[in-house]
Amino acid sequence: MAKAEFTVVGTSPARMGGVERVVGKGVYGIDVMLKDQLHGGILRSQYAHAKIVSIDTSEAKALPGVHAVVTAADAPDVRYGRSYLDRYILARNKVRYMGDPVAAVAAETPALVKQALKKIKVLYAPLPVVIDPETTMKPEAPTLHEDMPLPKNLPEGIKVKNVCGFTSVHVGDPEKAMAEADVVVEEAYETKMIHPQYLEPRMTAAQIEPNGRVTVWANAQAPFPVRQEVAKTLGIPLNNVRVISAELGGGFGGKGSGITSGAAIEPICALLAMKAKRPVMIVLDKAEETISTTIRAGAKLYIKTGVKKDGTIVARTGKVVYDAGAYSGFGTQAGARCTNMLGGWYLMPNCHIDGYVVYTNKQVCGPVRGPGGPQAAFAVESHMDSIAAKLGMDPAEFRVKNLPKAGDKIVGVPKLRDVSLGETIRIAKEKIGWGKVKLEKNQGIGMATGSWIESAGPGGGAVVKINEDGSATVHIGKIDMGTIPGFGIPLIVAEELGIPVSDVTVLNVDTDASPWDAGTVGSRGILVSGTACRLAAIDARTQIFKMAASQLEASPDDLEIKDKQIRVRGTPAKSVSLSTIATAAHNIIGEVIGRGYCDNVALMAEEKAHGSSQPFTTHACIVEVDPDTGNVKILKYVAVHDIGFPIHRAAVEGQIEGAAAMSIGQALCEQVVFDNDGRTMNPSFVDYLMPTINMTPRIETTLVPGYPGAGPYGAKGAGEIACVPPLACIANAIFNATGVRVRKLPLSPENVLRALREAGK
Amino acid sequence: MSVIIKTTINGKKVTASAEPSTSLLEFLRDTLEMKGTKLCCNTGECGACTVIFNGMPINSCVTVAADADGAEITTIEGLADGDNLHAVQQAFIDTGAVQCGYCTPGYIISVKALLDRTTKPTAEDIEEAVSGNICRCTGYAKIIDAIHLAANRIAGRA
Repeated sequence: MAKAEFTVVGTSPARMGGVERVVGKGVYGIDVMLKDQLHGGILRSQYAHAKIVSIDTSEAKALPGVHAVVTAADAPDVRYGRSYLDRYILARNKVRYMGDPVAAVAAETPALVKQALKKIKVLYAPLPVVIDPETTMKPEAPTLHEDMPLPKNLPEGIKVKNVCGFTSVHVGDPEKAMAEADVVVEEAYETKMIHPQYLEPRMTAAQIEPNGRVTVWANAQAPFPVRQEVAKTLGIPLNNVRVISAELGGGFGGKGSGITSGAAIEPICALLAMKAKRPVMIVLDKAEETISTTIRAGAKLYIKTGVKKDGTIVARTGKVVYDAGAYSGFGTQAGARCTNMLGGWYLMPNCHIDGYVVYTNKQVCGPVRGPGGPQAAFAVESHMDSIAAKLGMDPAEFRVKNLPKAGDKIVGVPKLRDVSLGETIRIAKEKIGWGKVKLEKNQGIGMATGSWIESAGPGGGAVVKINEDGSATVHIGKIDMGTIPGFGIPLIVAEELGIPVSDVTVLNVDTDASPWDAGTVGSRGILVSGTACRLAAIDARTQIFKMAASQLEASPDDLEIKDKQIRVRGTPAKSVSLSTIATAAHNIIGEVIGRGYCDNVALMAEEKAHGSSQPFTTHACIVEVDPDTGNVKILKYVAVHDIGFPIHRAAVEGQIEGAAAMSIGQALCEQVVFDNDGRTMNPSFVDYLMPTINMTPRIETTLVPGYPGAGPYGAKGAGEIACVPPLACIANAIFNATGVRVRKLPLSPENVLRALREAGK
Repeated sequence: MSVIIKTTINGKKVTASAEPSTSLLEFLRDTLEMKGTKLCCNTGECGACTVIFNGMPINSCVTVAADADGAEITTIEGLADGDNLHAVQQAFIDTGAVQCGYCTPGYIISVKALLDRTTKPTAEDIEEAVSGNICRCTGYAKIIDAIHLAANRIAGRA
């Protein structure tokens, strides 16, 4: 679609809600204040693995000013989970990580909450702790979940334990093809756990209404799944739970899909409010958050590839061990994605990869930004450079040699509709000066590519109401955390209705009023809510044209709408204002209410027939490695992305730059560090290093046109894919600079220096 | 035991009592219900709670509220002149530097303090002024654009 067809989509106006945010009036979750609210707090396990022998809350309950103390005994015996129902809202019988919630308190002041938590006496019988994801699979390892079965699809005869997910990828005959390869390269890679570290702490507040309904405020990315899970875990009818979302101060999947893979504090807070008969609000302390909420899992990745002398890849085998943590959380899904992606996004005629998702005594894997992707890509794209080096080929040329084209399949994707991968490589080479730029001593150049699947999942709806003045009020089920509700959605609605962007209001999610949605997850905002809003606006427009047609004595097909005026095409004098029609609607259809829905079934059928239009990317960088300290400085960083049509260009760039920066953090410094007892050694921001402005290079973003996606106007999701390439991109540049391959993250001075010394440099 | 704190916030005289252990951030957010200044790390590492204290940007989460007695404080709520945004606020909007917006109040305060000192900040000046402000959304590129745009507008160059 040519850009000229559109008025506002494809531009970058100021974000909706921008003024509130810059003057300090944006109301985030933690700014919520309820009348008579109590403060809530959670007692967390001091052991990574232990039996709970007894819990004595009597002293805590006796403290004046304490209104409720709850344990598992106060909640229904109901477990929750996504793949495995393996978790209680408050630990029952056993704790499985240091941070598992054991009891909770509601009291008049935060100081009283702390005092009461200290008065709760829990007697634990410690059990052996397992931290390493490979050790946990061995027969002698402690059993984390006595009553959870092994995955049904595990091949017979495999002796493993503590496994909560298994994925096996088979293509062709990898054994035979590997034997016939000219060159075989085999490597092992490792990534560490990182925390998404959104700046706004997790919070929740709960209030019991006079009619007995429970209202929950949550800064969660998926309010509807939160409603479902609060109702289930507390045994309340679904229609008696209302979840209201405030603005989110970041999420990145860490505030992800419901309580299953979030902090699970919402039902605990509701339980406290029910017991205390007063509103209760819980705000997690940042250090508490780092040890207890969901994370990007670490993974061990084994990868072996056979190639012909000319660089044609003939076979890949591999294994993934993906660390779900203490409960399955989102680990089963993320591990499956990681396993598929280890097959890469190049032509791969023969492939066999097994992926195991395992329980360990650590916090739980969530759907953190591109779950499974960065881990797989670190191995895949570092490995591509290792193979190229062995073949004596240019790494870019080796990639191009194995590019898929339209109609081809890659591992995990049966058919590609069109493939922008080669184009992103070509542009990235040009932007970074591949083969041209003069590198000084200790400097190196590297690239890495990536892809991402806009994960399959349920659709989602939108309602667009036209007010008497011609303005539009939009209801969707996705929250605004710097994502599409504040950026792309107002543009789509304005485009279709011919009204100014400033006349569009997108409301926050209230499960009593908003259309159902699975949440702001999986790069699905533009696909799901973008499509739904476009269709809802078109539906509203159709209703408007029908009423206007009779006023203008014209056919609805001959009408157009621009600048809030409905006109007969070619006869501009014949017009009526949108506000006149919207007001007249009161006597005709009541109100103009457009409805739209993203039909996921139709999308899947379309994809099956014509192939998947997934996004591709290439990042390239130049680094300088200090041979004395191991410090890596990024001198230049380019990110070339095909994300289809950019509906809000600045928002798309912002997503790409933010996601890339987050993975640059994972590449260079971020990790959650554990001791052998399962204690997090760096819970606070003092010790958990994140990229500041000083260490973040300017990410130079280029958007590649010409490859439309399945979203509205040909858009593709842009929130996650830029997380995929940076880890290997930087590792490859370090390899180019030093000749040393670092296969374990982070690429910190310590790890880089060790690798240099081990290589005798 | 509580202490009486007499302070000036955004040009207005304020008198309120607080516990001796209350941080300036808690005083602003909980006692005075001024929620514009944001809570995050509570250890002085992220800059989300930055306010201007007697002309200097400080982390209010690691400052004792009692220290504010007799001080002059500027918070994010005090920057705009009625409906007219401060140049730094407008620049953050215009460059797309506001994504989730949670770090934004602290960021804007730090940048205002910088541009009060100089309207020609070097790359080093910018790094020094905002290296204590973490943003997890933007990758910083558009924030740097916002700082330059605001500086140019204040100096009449744009």
